[in-house]
Amino acid sequence: MNINRRNFLGVLGVTGLSLCTGEKLKASPVKESKKEFFGVLYDSTRCVGCQSCEFACASSNGLPEPDASDMPEVGKIRKTNETRRTVVNAYNTSQGEVYVKKQCMQCNEPACAAACLTQAMYKTESGPVIWRDEKCMGCRYCMVSCPFDMPKFEYNSPNPDITKCDMCYERTSEGQLPACVEACPSEALTFGTRRELLAEAHRRISENPEMYHPQIYGEAEAGGTGFLYLSPVPFEEIGLNTSLQKSSYPALTKGFLYSVPSIFVLWPAILLGIHKSVRSNTNEAEDNE
Amino acid sequence: MDGFTYINIFDTKGIEYLVIIAFLILIIPYWRLLNKPLKAGAVAVSSVAALTASALRIPQGLYYSRNHTWAFMEKAGYARVGLDDLLLHITGQVELKNFRNAGEKVKRGDTIAAIAQNGAHLLIKSPITGEIQQVNSQLKSQVGAVNDDPYGKGWLYKIKPEKWTQETKSYFLSNEASLWFQTELLRFKDFMAVTLNKYSPQVAPVILQEGGELTDFPLSGMPVEVWNDFQEGFLDQVC
Amino acid sequence: MNNSNTIIAKDNDGMPLIKFLAEAIRSKGPFFTPFNMISLPIMLVGFTLIVIRFVKGIGAVANLTQEVPWGLWIGFDVVTGVAFAGGAYVITFMVYILNMKKYHSIVRVTVLNGFLAYVFYAGALLLDLGKPWNVINPIIGNSFGVSSVLFLVAWHFLLYMIAMLLEFSPAIAEWVGLKRARKILGGMTLAAVIFGITLSTLHQSGLGALYLMAKEKIHPLWYSEFIPILFFISSIFAGLSMVIFEGSISQKVFASQISSKNHHAHDDILHGLSKICALTMFVYFFMQVLTFVHGKHYELLNTPMGYWYLTEMIGFVLLPMALFFHSYRSRNIFLIKLAAFITMIGVIINRLNVTVIGFRWDAAQHYYPSWMEIVVTLTVLFVEIWIFRWIINRLPVLRDPPSWVKNL
Repeated sequence: MNINRRNFLGVLGVTGLSLCTGEKLKASPVKESKKEFFGVLYDSTRCVGCQSCEFACASSNGLPEPDASDMPEVGKIRKTNETRRTVVNAYNTSQGEVYVKKQCMQCNEPACAAACLTQAMYKTESGPVIWRDEKCMGCRYCMVSCPFDMPKFEYNSPNPDITKCDMCYERTSEGQLPACVEACPSEALTFGTRRELLAEAHRRISENPEMYHPQIYGEAEAGGTGFLYLSPVPFEEIGLNTSLQKSSYPALTKGFLYSVPSIFVLWPAILLGIHKSVRSNTNEAEDNE
Repeated sequence: MDGFTYINIFDTKGIEYLVIIAFLILIIPYWRLLNKPLKAGAVAVSSVAALTASALRIPQGLYYSRNHTWAFMEKAGYARVGLDDLLLHITGQVELKNFRNAGEKVKRGDTIAAIAQNGAHLLIKSPITGEIQQVNSQLKSQVGAVNDDPYGKGWLYKIKPEKWTQETKSYFLSNEASLWFQTELLRFKDFMAVTLNKYSPQVAPVILQEGGELTDFPLSGMPVEVWNDFQEGFLDQVC
Repeated sequence: MNNSNTIIAKDNDGMPLIKFLAEAIRSKGPFFTPFNMISLPIMLVGFTLIVIRFVKGIGAVANLTQEVPWGLWIGFDVVTGVAFAGGAYVITFMVYILNMKKYHSIVRVTVLNGFLAYVFYAGALLLDLGKPWNVINPIIGNSFGVSSVLFLVAWHFLLYMIAMLLEFSPAIAEWVGLKRARKILGGMTLAAVIFGITLSTLHQSGLGALYLMAKEKIHPLWYSEFIPILFFISSIFAGLSMVIFEGSISQKVFASQISSKNHHAHDDILHGLSKICALTMFVYFFMQVLTFVHGKHYELLNTPMGYWYLTEMIGFVLLPMALFFHSYRSRNIFLIKLAAFITMIGVIINRLNVTVIGFRWDAAQHYYPSWMEIVVTLTVLFVEIWIFRWIINRLPVLRDPPSWVKNL
């Protein structure tokens, strides 16, 4: 097997090119679209724990409604699962009892969508992260990657789905509000573009500084999320994870994924080179005997 | 960035570099120690890359001649003859060439076969006198066939012996053969020392390992002159 | 050398293919061996469990939770199993790239082992998928999730299985007696080897990269950005330890197949491999030190998980490394095998720590594999061994190839 000079230079050239152009390969948007991401602003100072959002969500998605006994209670942490896509929990904080609604955060750069090898988990142009049945393999890698542990799996079904809040994508595509936003009696939930919601949230904080903890949860967490939270107390007190990184989670795999083409080019060249030089060394040694 | 905040993006840099320096320093003695095998204290459970008498096969019940052939009397009344493991471990993989056919009569000491490797060959002498009943045709032109099972399927001839008791009286049985193999190996080492002197630097080195043991198959790959020397200076020098 | 033992099949030499294959399928040995008697009932229970899994869903058989979605089947069967199959790319690298002829006699059996490992662990993966019929989606489907590390791993598995099949195919051609095919396939070996080593580098590290996004969910002592590199390096000595372990068993069980020359050479091979392990583990240990220093989690060492971490690093990395070091220098074959065994346990522990034990170690509901998951895992393993045995007893893997190969 001979490497002639032409092949070697060719390999070198391609390597060089890929390393040069690799500089420019940042996470570029696939389409320069004029659409902005939509999101939901949740203001826990307005939430009264009535669970109307839970009932509306269940009814809109054909899921069982919460039991009469299943109410937000201090000390009890209710979690979403394959039969409920949002829950409200109660926390005892320095400012009394606070209610917190939990659901998929609709991240800007979702870990689940990056993880999904079939693009079953998909970040739509308008913002909601949806799940598509016909593509899903049920590998549950989205569940491994999500920092909020939001995708849930139907373990007890022979044809299991992955379920999570999808910001009522079908409803919002038709101009309606998400079910929970529409149902909330105390206007704790507001729907709009992420930009508008951030502006609104900042406005509320600046106009009522004594009422709010001066931060918006979801502004930078995980690189920014579609669901934004306002709270009267620091977020740890209401069970929100504040140790999350402020950059997107898929960015953690970028280094590895980017190195793949280079290795595909470099390794065969290096291996061939070693093989050739070892061969010619052995031949030399044999010739010298 | 509001105000001045000192962001140290790699604050463990110092310690990590120290670790790397430690690694580079430590790997030198580690590698050198690794390459220096332990000597006498070593539990040599198996050192088959070395050619020692303990690694050779010496089945019981056979008579071993000083020509490095063996003879075994079968129940049917004829004897099988073949080559011993020591000779084959010295030569390495060889091809067998039978010179005789069934029906021929041979005397002890007659050339009956040759073993060949890459143009070099050694002549094999018969350990007993008698009439050849059968030639082992399975070994024909199969390199290494006689090496794998020299006492079983690697037999050379089946001979009807005429002077069995008389001739085998001077041969070794297996326990004596073991001792004899050891002395033969010493004799062979001396032979190799002389030969290497004669032919080096053309002859490739590394016959002797660090412990002074011979490597297995020392003649394998050696030029024809060395094999001829081995025939005259070792095999034929039967004491 | 002639394949002259009656219990072992001969290679085909002129017989028509169908007749030869029909003959080959017949059983070649005693049925009531201890291994058969143990593995058969487990396999039968396992097959039943697999049926139940498909009828009632994964939850009926596995203890997986919403917070720990990957358990024994992924953490052990796939992630650890693939690490052990790493012997294939290391040995082919040594023999075909570095031209270390000493190891030539074990190339085929190692490649066969690697190929079977990947096939069966990909098979085990199908059991773990919720919708296994959609597994073709990332292969031929119109939506390639190219940002996904799993996409890369899946594709590499597929391509690597093809590369290994190519590397092994000369043995099949020799067995059925197709001389022209043997010549063509033999010429493709170098390309397949280079392809295989490249793929292996990427997917051994890729299995580690799978967990990069789970930064908050894996215990800080085991999570780092260096997981891919650590997985890659440990796959080298994990694979070689498996080669040592499996080789020791094969030497006894299939002794009649192996020529005496290869028998004698085996200890020499073990000796050489122990040196490579000693060096690689030295490097790996320092990489772990670097990773630990980089993470700055010194105070975590004084916790139960910290003690477990130290146990893994000192008892199952440093100790076998020292054993390999010593056993290489003293040529102690028994110690080499012992070191290999401890190393393998260490690799299992490490992989399980990252994927299962350290994953959501703080979850309210801890994950333990159910007995059913264990039985299914054993079933996959036993079926693989049965097939391995079937192939070894027929194809020229451990025994020398037929003589006509030299004349090609």
